Amino acid sequence: MNVTCSQIDDLLFDASPLAMETAARHAMECPSCAEKLAEWNEISEVAQSMRTTWTNDMHWPRIDRALREERRRRPVRWLWQVAAAIVLIVGLGGTVFYGIRVQTHDAAFDRDILRLTALDDVERAERVHVKAIGKLERLAGAKLDDAQSPLLISYKEKLMLLDDAIAECRANIDQNRQNAHLRKQLLAMYSDKQQTLQDVMREDNHVSSP
Amino acid sequence: MTSVFSASPVPTEDRQLAAACAAGDSRVFEDIYRRFGDRMKSIAWNHLGNASDAEDAVQETFLKVHRAATTYTGEASFSTWLYRILVNTCYDVLRKRKRRIEEAPIEETAERTAPNVDDTKRIALRRLLDALPEQRRTVFTLFEIEGLSHAEIGEILGISEGNSKWILFATKKELQEKWKRSQ
Repeated sequence: MNVTCSQIDDLLFDASPLAMETAARHAMECPSCAEKLAEWNEISEVAQSMRTTWTNDMHWPRIDRALREERRRRPVRWLWQVAAAIVLIVGLGGTVFYGIRVQTHDAAFDRDILRLTALDDVERAERVHVKAIGKLERLAGAKLDDAQSPLLISYKEKLMLLDDAIAECRANIDQNRQNAHLRKQLLAMYSDKQQTLQDVMREDNHVSSP
Repeated sequence: MTSVFSASPVPTEDRQLAAACAAGDSRVFEDIYRRFGDRMKSIAWNHLGNASDAEDAVQETFLKVHRAATTYTGEASFSTWLYRILVNTCYDVLRKRKRRIEEAPIEETAERTAPNVDDTKRIALRRLLDALPEQRRTVFTLFEIEGLSHAEIGEILGISEGNSKWILFATKKELQEKWKRSQ
C-alpha cells in the first residue's frame, strides 16, 4: 500500500499495528516522515518507561489503619447525620407550621375585617333609615297626639307596640351585633313602622279632605 | 498492549466486591490493594509527580471506596470505578496544589519498568505532561504509560472510546512539537 506524506497523520491516528507498519514502510523512503515517526515512537517509548513501581511495606498498614479509623468514626458520623436530619426536619416542620398558622391567622383576620366592614355598612344604612323614619314620625306625631278616629287610635297603639318591639330587638342586637336574623327582624319592624306612619299621613289627608 | 481489566472479575463478583467494601471487610481491601495497588500508585505518581502524594492519593481512594461502595451500580467494572475515583482524587490534589501555588518537585527515585531509557528524556516528557490540561494528561498517562485501552479510558473518564482516541492523537501531536524543540 503506497501512502503519501499527507496520509501519515491518518495512520498515526489509526495507530493499529497495520497502520503503524504502513507508516514505517513509507518512512523508509521519506526522511521527513521518518523523523516525524521517530519522534512519535520515542514519545511512546519514554512514556512506557514512566510506568512506576516502588515498594513501601508501610503503605498498606497505613491504609488499613485509616480504614479502621474510618469505620470507628462511622457510627459517630451516622449519629451526627441522624441528629442533623432531625434538626432539619424539626426546623422545616416548625417553619411550615408557623407559615400555615400565620396564613390561617391572616385569613381569619381578613374574614373578620370583611365581616366588620359589612356590619358597618348595614348599621350605616340602618341609621339613615331610622333617621328618615324619625322625620316621618315627627310629621305624623302631631296628628297622632290628637287622634280621635278609631283608626288613628289603632295606628297609635300599633306604633307604640312596634317601638317596644324595636327597642327590645335593638337591645338583643347590642349583645350580638353580627346576628343577621335579628337585623332582618329589625328591618321588617322599621318597614312596618314606616308603612304605618305613611298610612297615618294618608289617613290624615283623607280626614282633612272633605 | 495488555489490559489490566482482563483479570477483573465478572460484574456479579464486582458487586459482591463492592458490598464487601461497604461492609468494611479488611481482607477484601487488602486483596484489592494487592491486585490494583501498583497500578494505582503508578497512575497517581504520573499525575502528582512524587511518591508521597501518590501514596496519599491511593489511601484517600480506598477511603472513598469504603464510603461510596454502596453507590456502586455495576455499570462499569470495579477496577474502572476504582481508577475513576483515583483519577478524580489526583485532580483534587492538583487543584489544591495549584491553589497553594507550589511547584511539585519532580522525583526520580522510583523504580522503572524500563530503566534503560534516558532519565533526562523522562524528566523532559514529565515537564511537558505537567503543562497539559488534566484530561489530556490522564488520557496520555492511562494509554501510553499504563497501557489501558481507549474503551477502558473512556469508561474511567466518562467519554467515548473515539473521543479518547482523538484526545490521545491531539495530545501526542502537541507533545511532538514541543518535544522537537526541547531536544
